[in-house]
Amino acid sequence: MHYQMGNSGSYPLLLLLWLLPLAGAIVIWAFGPQLKRLAGALGSAVVGASFVATLLSWHDGTQSVAGAGANLVGAHQALVSWLPGFDFGLLLDPLSLLWVCIITGVGFLIHVYSIGYMYDDKAFARFFAFLNFFVFAMLTLVLSDNFVGLLVGWGLVGLASYFLIGFWFEKPSAVAAARKAFVINVAGDVGIMFAIFMIVASVHSIAFGDVFGNVGSLSTPWLLAICICLFIGAAAKSAQVPLHTWLPDAMEGPTPVSALIHAATMVTAGVYLVARCAPLWSQNADAQLLVGIIGGITALAGAILGCAQWDIKRILAYSTMSQIGYMIMGVGVGAYEGGVAHFFTHAFFKAQLFLGSGLIIHALANEQDVRRMGGLMKKLPFAFVAMLVGVLAICGIPGFSGSFSKDAVIYGTLQHGHPILYAIGILTAGLTAYYMFRLLFVTFFGSYRGDVDPSDLGIRHPELAGTAHAAHDDHHGEHHAPAWLMNVPVGILIVPSIFAGWLLFGGEHSPWAQFFAQQFPHPTLPTPAISELTTTLIVLACVAVGIGVAYARYATAAAQADAVERLRGESVRMPALLTNAFYFDAALDLLFVRTSQLFGTIFGRLIDPQIIDGAVRETAFSAQWLGTLVRSFQTGLVRAYAFVLVIGVACFLVYYAVISGGLH
Amino acid sequence: MTVNVTSADWYALAPISIVAITALVVLLADLFAPKHVNRYLAIVLAVLGIVVAATDCKAAYAHDFAAFGGAFIVGGFSVVFQEIILIAALGSVVLYGAIGKDDRIAGAIALMLWSACGAMLMAGAGSLMTIFLGIELLSLALYCLCGLADRPTAREAAFKYLILSSVASGFMLYGMAMLFGASGSVALADLTNPVLASNPLLWIGGGLFLVGISFKLSLVPFHAWSPDVYEGAPLPVTAFMSVATKAGTLAVFARFVYAAMPSGVADRLLLPIWIVAGISMIAGNVGMLAQHDLKRLLAYSGIAQIGYMLAALAGGTALGMRYAIFYLAAYTFMNLGAFAIAALISDDAEQGSRLANYRGLAQKSPAAAALMTVFLLALAGLPPTAGFLGKILILSTTASAGYVWLGIALIVGTAISLYAYAKIIRAMYQRDEHAHTHAAHPFVPLAWASAIVCCVAVVVLTFVPPALRDVLPLVR
Repeated sequence: MHYQMGNSGSYPLLLLLWLLPLAGAIVIWAFGPQLKRLAGALGSAVVGASFVATLLSWHDGTQSVAGAGANLVGAHQALVSWLPGFDFGLLLDPLSLLWVCIITGVGFLIHVYSIGYMYDDKAFARFFAFLNFFVFAMLTLVLSDNFVGLLVGWGLVGLASYFLIGFWFEKPSAVAAARKAFVINVAGDVGIMFAIFMIVASVHSIAFGDVFGNVGSLSTPWLLAICICLFIGAAAKSAQVPLHTWLPDAMEGPTPVSALIHAATMVTAGVYLVARCAPLWSQNADAQLLVGIIGGITALAGAILGCAQWDIKRILAYSTMSQIGYMIMGVGVGAYEGGVAHFFTHAFFKAQLFLGSGLIIHALANEQDVRRMGGLMKKLPFAFVAMLVGVLAICGIPGFSGSFSKDAVIYGTLQHGHPILYAIGILTAGLTAYYMFRLLFVTFFGSYRGDVDPSDLGIRHPELAGTAHAAHDDHHGEHHAPAWLMNVPVGILIVPSIFAGWLLFGGEHSPWAQFFAQQFPHPTLPTPAISELTTTLIVLACVAVGIGVAYARYATAAAQADAVERLRGESVRMPALLTNAFYFDAALDLLFVRTSQLFGTIFGRLIDPQIIDGAVRETAFSAQWLGTLVRSFQTGLVRAYAFVLVIGVACFLVYYAVISGGLH
Repeated sequence: MTVNVTSADWYALAPISIVAITALVVLLADLFAPKHVNRYLAIVLAVLGIVVAATDCKAAYAHDFAAFGGAFIVGGFSVVFQEIILIAALGSVVLYGAIGKDDRIAGAIALMLWSACGAMLMAGAGSLMTIFLGIELLSLALYCLCGLADRPTAREAAFKYLILSSVASGFMLYGMAMLFGASGSVALADLTNPVLASNPLLWIGGGLFLVGISFKLSLVPFHAWSPDVYEGAPLPVTAFMSVATKAGTLAVFARFVYAAMPSGVADRLLLPIWIVAGISMIAGNVGMLAQHDLKRLLAYSGIAQIGYMLAALAGGTALGMRYAIFYLAAYTFMNLGAFAIAALISDDAEQGSRLANYRGLAQKSPAAAALMTVFLLALAGLPPTAGFLGKILILSTTASAGYVWLGIALIVGTAISLYAYAKIIRAMYQRDEHAHTHAAHPFVPLAWASAIVCCVAVVVLTFVPPALRDVLPLVR
């Protein structure tokens, strides 16, 4: 059985929006030295053009497939067909359309912002070549109509992420972070690869349409195994526990990279994968439960760890991890529309938070430790407004975008019968409010602490404080980028950060539900004991408590008066469990790095030289010997050849004589 | 039996006639043209003639037509084989232009074109007489071509080829006589009469006919001539022979298997061929291991490769024949490409083919080494080349037709061959101080171009959509 995913046809705009960023990357890479600053404008222009093409393709992407029983929708462009079952093409349906809009739309704003942020970087053109390449890779991931194309995109975004985390490769910490991110992501890629093996073995096709159409023919354990393998990939890419440890380190990359790749788009690929494979997950409750639990744990763990960070970007990194946990929890339990909606609003407000923090970091010459900030409200009023809107949105203050989508996820867990996840969601909402307002108060309230001795603030390695500052402040005096280049994108993002969530207003009749009406399964669910409105009120109460605690600890007049003392005290008394991030890194190191090294030693010293090399040597030797044997028949004498020929003929004749004799 | 010959019959022969006439024109032009232009003239005329023939050939693709009372059958099947033969001729003519000796070039090219005529005749041969005519036309020209070079080994090769080939032709002719005796007709179509299944003449005659086929395809144990002949013949001739002989004979064999078999005898009648094909896959690849000369190595490689193509036909399915044709097309390009590089890295035919000369090639000519690597990977059957896809397709069809043991032979043979091909690749990328002389003939750029075209074809064929691949024409 085959699902026709989307109306097959020729969609030049779809090809254009997919390939433009690749063309941009190639041109910028090839002509970077000639383009100079124009590289930024060109890079932004191609992504902007790609966004326009996306909007123009909107109609195609939302067209229902005529006569399809399964409520299918979208546009399908065939590219290459290969062996039977291996057809490659592009699919634009509401789900991929949403992702493409964010990738190109938010991507465009971040490209423009980067022109200002990276203005005085030596490798300005290289940065935009990588950024454009990332956009292309991410579009490949979400537009592919098959698992292999998705895996190709999956691998390429990992590669782009590796390049961009390690963009400042003269910093050893950046190189280490890039390597860590790459290795963990490759582990995820292998998971997806195994899922594809299992899919091909059972369905004989890689096309989404064929796989989803034949999901009924898969046995339950087999389907569960496929889902688990796919989810390993999703968890690695989306920084889910226990494969999340690369994300905080990835903040070594330039801030626009953190905004685009490690907040808005790439890290949500796992959410996309689970939502895309909704037909698989919907058939297996165990797989759904696993994803939901992992998502819930990640949401809670990220929020707890976010409370213990001092680096502004690491706080945001843990909050990203926690918010993606929400999304994964949502799509995991089956609340696909809610989970995807949280991706949509999160892309805006988290990009805004990162870009806003970038404004601060830029203004303070690469200072990232919030303990050395403070009182920035007056110095950087625009950054304060931008961060305030972002914080209000992420905390789910009613009216801001985050409130709609987060409540949809939390209520969705209850609707689908997971009260514990529901409780985790509410608890996490309170914690989120606490650590985000902590960030806001410590950064913007009180008085500026940038000239206080780092050790007085409890900074453990004062010599490391502001290393980025030392490395990249050389050109600070000659900084000429016009301020609007960075402010305008942030200003534009304020609008969707507030209003994007309103698309969810109206429950089943909201524009959001209409948009996805034909995309996701809609089982009829029992009405839970707690209504949606009550849920919102409970969440709000928790959020209020979180804000209140943060206010009491950091924003009261008393707290601000002895801020230096308090911050030092908090830094010193921080539990080791939290400063070491629950020892995940140490555990992974012990489990995988050390054991691999052990295996490596065993193989390198014993098995490889003795057994494998020996076998190879023997094989090569015997092959050579056989070759010589064959050659020895080749005497070069005609009579010898004729003799062999006649022997052959004799064998043939004996066979045919026997066969024809046996006929009578 | 009377046959009414109309103009349509002659039109069916048009591509062959064009090639034959081109050969005459090349010879005549050589006679009258000034000495310093004859080389260019011969190549240009030959290329023109081949291109015209290839264009004319296409016309018959869509309509099957049995000319001369069924003696020569044109249609999609014959057109595909004829085009492959013309591509081989084109590539070899260009190679000859790049490295051939001036005073013999016109004669060599004329002989090569006539030889191509023979192979093209085999591609459409519908009767035993046409088959024999085609084989002899192909072979007689090749005997002369092999002896062209000024080396004792070349004359020795030509002599061996003549003697052994005559022996094989004798067996084949004897077999044809028996088949004629059984059916009372020379037409292949008349062999399908079910009454013949119990006639011993069909079995013995068919067996002897298959001996001839096996010899032409150089299957083990009828292969002994091929390494010596490949080595002795001038390089472009070897390139041509390795493809054209296989293409023509494979067409004859496919027609015999698919259109000249009384029902129910195919399994038993053809079993020896499949066994011989399986042995060839193993022995051919093993034989490669101890070679020190590229032409000899490619001769053994060809023995194995034709085994793969035969394995595709073993099931007698439509897809099997299409995959055999697909593999033949892929083989044409990878083989021609390998010979083109061999010709390019040295203007002396003997120097160019010695494997020791490939050591350190990547330093002197990275492009040549890279192209050669692609062709060797394709011959070995590794992705992303057409050799890989071809083997996968053949494996699938052979295994599903019930000839699992042939599939196993294919895999084992491939595994052995990897070592031989990898050895050359490794040598090419080793450092070496040994210097190469580079050919500086006027057609060298053209030879480069043909090598690049072959490389592109080898890769692009991998991505041919099934919609195009699986509609290759069948014998009707």
